[in-house]
Order: sequence, then structure tokens, then C-alpha cells
Amino acid sequence: MKKMHIVLLVLIVASIAVIVSVFGSFSTYETFTSASKEPGKKYYVIGNLQKDKDMIYDPLKDPNHFIFYAKDKAGNVNKVIFNGEKPRDIEKSEQIVMMGYEDGGTFHCSRIQMKCPSKYKKDMVAEGSSS
Amino acid sequence: MTTQFIGEHLRPGQLGHFFIIASFVASLFSTFSFFMAARTEVKDPVGSGSWLRLARGSFILHTAAIISIFATLFYVITHHLFEYHYAWEHSSVLLPGKYLLACFWEGQEGSFMLWIFWHCILGLIVMGTAKGLETRVMTIVSLVQVCLGTMIMGIYFGQDIQVGSNPFILLRHVMQAAPIFQMGNYMDFIRDGNGLNVSLQNYWMVIHPPILFLGFASSLIPFAYCLAALWKGDYKDFVKPAIAWSLLNGAVLGTGIMMGGAWAYESLNFGGYWAWDPVENASLVPWLTLIAGLHTLLIYRATGRALKLTFFLLLITHLLVWYSTFLTRTGILGKTSVHAFTGDGTALTYHLLGVIALLSIISIALFQWRRKQIPGIKTEEATLSREFWMFIGSVILFLSSVQIAISTSIPIWAPLAKWITGKEFAPPIDPMHHYNNIQVWIAIITGILSATILFMKFKQTEPGTLSRRLGITALIAAAMGGFIAWGQHIVIWQYDIMLFAACYGIVANIYYGTVVQKVKFKKLGPSVAHMGFATVLLGILLSSYNKHTISFNNTGVEFDLKKTVAENTKENRENETLFYGVPAVMGDYFATYIGDSDVAGKDKRVYYKVLFEKKDSLNDVPSEQFMLYPDAFINPKGQQGLSSNPSTKHYWNKDVFTYINVAMDNTKEDTTSYRTTTVTKPGDTVFLSDAYMIFKDVSKTVVNNRRYQPEAGDLPLTATFDLHDMSGKVSQVNPVYVLRNKEYIVWVDDSVASLGLSVRFAKLTVKSQDSVSVDVMTRQVDPKEKYIVLKALVFPYINVLWIGVMIMVFGFFISLGDHLSRGKKVAS
Repeated sequence: MKKMHIVLLVLIVASIAVIVSVFGSFSTYETFTSASKEPGKKYYVIGNLQKDKDMIYDPLKDPNHFIFYAKDKAGNVNKVIFNGEKPRDIEKSEQIVMMGYEDGGTFHCSRIQMKCPSKYKKDMVAEGSSS
Repeated sequence: MTTQFIGEHLRPGQLGHFFIIASFVASLFSTFSFFMAARTEVKDPVGSGSWLRLARGSFILHTAAIISIFATLFYVITHHLFEYHYAWEHSSVLLPGKYLLACFWEGQEGSFMLWIFWHCILGLIVMGTAKGLETRVMTIVSLVQVCLGTMIMGIYFGQDIQVGSNPFILLRHVMQAAPIFQMGNYMDFIRDGNGLNVSLQNYWMVIHPPILFLGFASSLIPFAYCLAALWKGDYKDFVKPAIAWSLLNGAVLGTGIMMGGAWAYESLNFGGYWAWDPVENASLVPWLTLIAGLHTLLIYRATGRALKLTFFLLLITHLLVWYSTFLTRTGILGKTSVHAFTGDGTALTYHLLGVIALLSIISIALFQWRRKQIPGIKTEEATLSREFWMFIGSVILFLSSVQIAISTSIPIWAPLAKWITGKEFAPPIDPMHHYNNIQVWIAIITGILSATILFMKFKQTEPGTLSRRLGITALIAAAMGGFIAWGQHIVIWQYDIMLFAACYGIVANIYYGTVVQKVKFKKLGPSVAHMGFATVLLGILLSSYNKHTISFNNTGVEFDLKKTVAENTKENRENETLFYGVPAVMGDYFATYIGDSDVAGKDKRVYYKVLFEKKDSLNDVPSEQFMLYPDAFINPKGQQGLSSNPSTKHYWNKDVFTYINVAMDNTKEDTTSYRTTTVTKPGDTVFLSDAYMIFKDVSKTVVNNRRYQPEAGDLPLTATFDLHDMSGKVSQVNPVYVLRNKEYIVWVDDSVASLGLSVRFAKLTVKSQDSVSVDVMTRQVDPKEKYIVLKALVFPYINVLWIGVMIMVFGFFISLGDHLSRGKKVAS
């Protein structure tokens, strides 16, 4: 065997080992219930905003504290505390992806990603009403 | 019955459609003719010549048609023809002229156009320079143009299947169901377009896409040369042009990627220049394979080895460009990317997959067909040779790209993983950590290799000189690294090694360039590019290791300092509320929100004035002070909330970077009530909480209030007050009272943002010819209620990174110049 082959073999084995070892750092999408099985461990939860429940954000008291309620894919509604500013347009979001951990019946969230309805439909309404 | 539509300009659209069809047919014909010219090259040189002339002619025609599409679409945008969906969707009347180009490539179709355009230009250059390989290279180029052409065709098969999307489609065709389009005079209601997304309204949006797309486009040419070489079975002639084009591609794509980083850093709020976001990764991956391919090609030129790997790398580079288009355009990344890309649905997904499949099949088929005859060298290379280590370096770069590609492609493999494991896989919780942990080793190895191989020679190196030179380099680098690590408190050992690798790279390349190469400028390309690379590594390390948020004092955001979840969560609390006029501690500074000013326009933009003073305690005299003006669009496009732009103070060794996260909405009706005062004669005073106003007069003629927009039938009256504030400054306040159509009253308030004051001319009572009384309503927001929520970060030594990028790109161009001039000498 040529030494280049040995080197390549080592590199490939090493990279497979690395990829397998970091596989654990990929997260999973969970529900509030499944996330509560391991309190304190961070997961992604997909859900949508419960608009009929309160949203509390008072930047005068604490700009990093936003409380809202979300319903996950399994249909459970949970209280969510987000350590950050209230994301703009969250009222209009169709879906929110929350990253955080469940603890004592509350989901502590440190990152939010929202999916908003496409520009089209909303603008159509605006156009329609102006005519 | 069909509706007659009034006020539309249909001519540009018809022309546009015509040019699209013309360009598509021309590219088809040119593919076919180049193909025929290539096939008959040996058997029938005369026939081949005429095919070639036809092919060239139609490619030029194709280019002309593409330029015409460009011009037509540009006409539609600049003339605000909102009957066209593209203009309506992406531009608006008030948009400054410089952003009209940006509208052009904000949309899917426009950016495909840009890509096609660059292919045309590059294709013309290839036609003039490729000589014996022209027919084959151009067959591939034209074929790719055909594929891209289908993207802007917008042809329907049946009701549901749409192939491509046409930039000249009319608004009323896109939204057929809307009742407004049942009216013939619908154009009377569509006065303005949607406008450019406010976060894209900056000069980066004007220059970044053309550069990035030139980078994408130029990957086609090495790809086409490789296929042409395989097709012809000629493994010599393609080497020189392939090196030149790969150098160009590396320089331009590298610039494009880092411009994206600079854009993100300078005007978006991602809080950095690189976040391992899928969209960033998608363009980095082809750059890595390209650089690997460029190096194996250099090995092949010098030693005749590594040709198969070269083909593989340069072919996959272009395929990865298509793959990155697939990832970013189809919306498949959806929930994993912060970039707000909207998907164009399943039609585009299958369309792009089809193109990728076609190009992959051609690549694999040609490669397999020629596999046995691709030349190689059976003997082993020496351990102390440049090719041996360069090969390893290229493989490492490729492995780096594999890791990034796998992690980025989660949405692609997640369904399969779910089927196997039953779990729904998501991106890493901490992507920075996930990528950095692996890529730090890539950075270390490539940093050291890129410096070391220059000291080695192809085939065999004399070990004595080599070890002496490398020993000196390592010693200096260790001293330099140690000094920096001590000064910057870099304590995590992996990053100390990376620091050493970066210093080693810088020292070694300077040493090589000056002592070994004796500063012969033409030959300096590799050492300059590699030194730039090492400087980039140093800049990345310094700026991100000690990046810290000063609006909540913490360090080590991007590196796992083995803290608990709760501690890390606390570190996310990075916002600080600044009340009007109240200084708050931020790092070494006291920051005070001292005022704001708004700019008129369709989307309201407010600049916030924040004073930073460097001092130890509140009552000290500041040793330094500066003002930052972060701004935000309040409720852009009728949406709730704000879209903000950062403001940065640049020092030579660090940047203080701030942006607004929440601001009080001055336009909203708040709960503070108005207080009414009646003034009857000039000199009457209205008292406010920290200022007073003196009434001057009421005027029928002069309207000195920019909020007032005159309408026909208006009778405006302006009241003038002198406003005296606490500091003794005097300014004018001009609320307007408008009698509109003699029917109703419109109030146009005047306001003074710095005092939180609004003034309304509420009522006019005429007592006699020259005696009037004015009811003036004033409302002043308590300064306590006026606040902004600010985030402030410090990036140390970020300039090292930008300088490194420039040095690296400069190195590419020195190499390119040298490479091109070398060819001329041989020819003459």
C-alpha cells in the first residue's frame, strides 16, 4: 500500500469519526410534552401563537422578557418565556419555531424563528380595500 | 365578455416575451451547432467550420437578446409600470434611483437574468480564447444557458404545471381572482408598487449580487473545460485556461462571499459577519471545492498526478453552485435559515433538480467513459514533495466542504433519518459551536500546510534547508502567537493552536516572499494569497473570540465555555433599555439616548442619537466621547414593529456596534392626554413641563409644516409659536389647521421629537376682523416613557479580517496576471 493511500485512509476514517461524533449535536424537533421529559435540555419546538391568550412585554421593566402562549403540533398549549425582545410581526406569524428548554411547565425560549404569510395575500387585502 | 383594460403599457411586455423566446431559441440552436461543429471537427473540417460560424452567430444573437431583456425589464422598473407584476412587487415610485438596480435582482427572475448575463459575457470571452477546445466548451456553456433560459420562460403545461417564471407577467394575470382586476380601469387604483424590502435598501444590495453571481457564473467555465477535455480525450490544452478561470473564480467568488459577510456585519442585525447560516454555507462549499480543485490542477500541471481528483473537484464545484441555488431558492431551508427567502414552490424544486440531474449525468457519463484512459502516474510521490502535501491539503479542504454540506442539508436528509431513527432532526442548538469545533481543525491544518508547501519543491525537496527555514518560521510564529494569546487572553487550547497556525502562515509567507523569492512581484501570487488566508484566520479568531456584548457585559458568546444552560440563557439577555436622557453603563462607556429625528418618506425612518462617553464614573470628565446614530424603519410597509439598521464606531483595533431592538412608536396614539390652552394675542405663553411656547401669529399664506400635504379645496391656516427649551434654544412650531372642502377640519400637528412634544392647532375663533383666538392643544410625553432598547457589541480587531480578505484576493490576481503573461511568452 502506498503511503498516500494510508494517509487518505486515515483522513477518511478520521472524518467519519468526526461526523459521527458531532451527529449528537444535531437537535431534534419535539413537542412541549416530549421536551418536558428532559427538563433543562434544549430542543426545537414548532408551534403557533395563541392569539387569544395574553402576550406580555414591558421593555420598561425588562427588555429581555417576553411571555406568550403557544400551541405545539400535538395541540398542547404552553406558556413560553422568551429571553429577548418581542419579535416584530409575531402576531401575524403562521408558525413559530422556538428553541429552548422546558422547565416546570414553562418553555424557556432563547431563539425564535417565524414563518409569516406571503406578502401577496396581505397586500391584496390592502389593495382591495383602497379601491 | 372580456374586459377592456385602460391605461396599460403592453408593448414592453410583448417585446420582453419576444426577447425571452429569441434568447432561448438562439441558445438551443447554438448548443446544437457547437455540438455538430465538435462532432465533425475531424471528419469534415469544412463542414465543422460552417457549423462553428453558425454557432458563434447564434451565441452572439443569444447575448444580444439577453441584453435586450435586461434593458426592457429595466425600462419597466424605471418607468414604474406597475401593471407588470415584477415592477409592482419589487419597486415603488419613491424609491431612490440607485436602488432601482437592486429591485432588478431582488426577485427570482431578475437574479436568474443576472446569472445568465454573466454566462453570456464569459461565453464571449471563451469563444475568443478557447481555440481547439472552443466547440466543446461552448457546447456545455450553451447547454447550461438553455437550462437557465427555461427558468425565465414561464410556460404552462396544462393548468397546473408551470415551467420557469416570466418577469414580464402582468399583475392582473398573477392575481386573476382579485375583484379589482375585473374593472377595466384598475390601473387608476394601482398608483404605487410594493417597494424594495427596507432591510435591502442599502448600497450592498446594489453591488453584492452582481459580484456573487459573477462568482457563481465563472464556476461554469472550469466545469465546461473539464467536460471538454474528457469529451475530446485531450488532457493537455485545457490545463492553462482551466487554471486561469479557476483563479478568477476563486477571487470573485471569495470576494462575493466576504462582501455578503461585510453586508451582514455592517447593515443587518445578525450580530456578526458569519453565522454559519445555510445561505452563507451554500456559497462557501463550492468555493472550498474550487480551491481544492485549483490546487490539484497545479499538481497535475507540475507532475502529471491527481488529474482524476481535479476533474471530480472542478465538476462538483459547478454542480454545488446549482445545489446551493436549489437550497436557497426553493424555500426548502424554510425553518432553518434566518434569511427570508420565500419558496417558489414545488415547480421550481423539480425544475432545479432536473437541471442538476442532467448536468450530473453528463459529468458522470463522460468521466466513466474516459476513466481508464485518464493519465496518471503509477509511482509513489516523495514524502518531502510539494505535490504530496498539496494533495493532502486539497483533500482536507474537500472534507471541510463535506462536513459543512452535510450539516447544512439537514432538511434534505431529515426525512430519511426520521424513517430510520424515528426522530425529527433539527439543526444544532448552537450552530456556531457545532461548526467551529470541527472547522477549527481544518483552519489549523490548512493554515500550516498552505505556508509549508511553498518551501517545498515539486518532486523532491532538500530536507536540510527545509527544516532550517521551517524551524525559524515556527519559532517566530510561536513567539508572536504567545504574545497575542497573552495579550488577548486566549485560553482555550484549540484556539491557541489555531492562533499559532495563523501566525505561522503569516510569518512563513512573508519569509518566503521576501527571502526565498526576493520580492519578485510576478511570482508573489501564491505567497500573498496564502498570507491573506492566514490573516483571515487570525482576524476571525481575534474578532470572534473576544467579541462581547456590552449592553450586557459578557464574553465568549461563540465559544462553549462549559457553562450550564441557565448561564447560557442569561447570556442571551443582551438588550438594555435606555431611557431618554438617562446614562446607562455599557462596558467602558456611559451611553445616553439624547434624541431622535425622523426622515420623511413612504416608510418612516427614525435616527436615534446615542451619546457614548468613556469614563469611569458618571461625574468624571469623559476621556473620549462619540455619537452613534442607529436607525430604524418604524412599521415598514404597514407591518407592526421595526426594521433597524446598526451604527458602528470604528477604531483601528475594534468596532463598537449598536442597533435598536425596540423603540417607542411615536406615531401611535398613546395614553398621554392633550392639554388645551387658549391664546388670543401675540406674546401669550403656553407652558410645558420643561419648556414654553410664545404665540406669534396665524397666517393664511405660509404653510411651514412638512407634514401637511395640500389638496384641492384646502384652506390652511398656520399658527406660529416660538419654542424656548431648557437650554435656551429657540425654535419654531407650526401646527396647521385645515378647512377641507369647506366641509371638515383636518389637524396637522407639529412635533418636536427631542422634547416628546406634539402641538395641535385645535380651534379657531374669530371675534372680529383683527382679533382671533386660538385653542392650542399640547401633549408632552414624559421623558421617562421615552426609551429605546439597544444592543451594543464590541468586535475587536475586525479590520484584520477585512485586510486579510483583500490581501488574499490581491494574491489571486497577481497569480492570474503571472499565469496569463507566462502563456504569451511561450506563444511568441
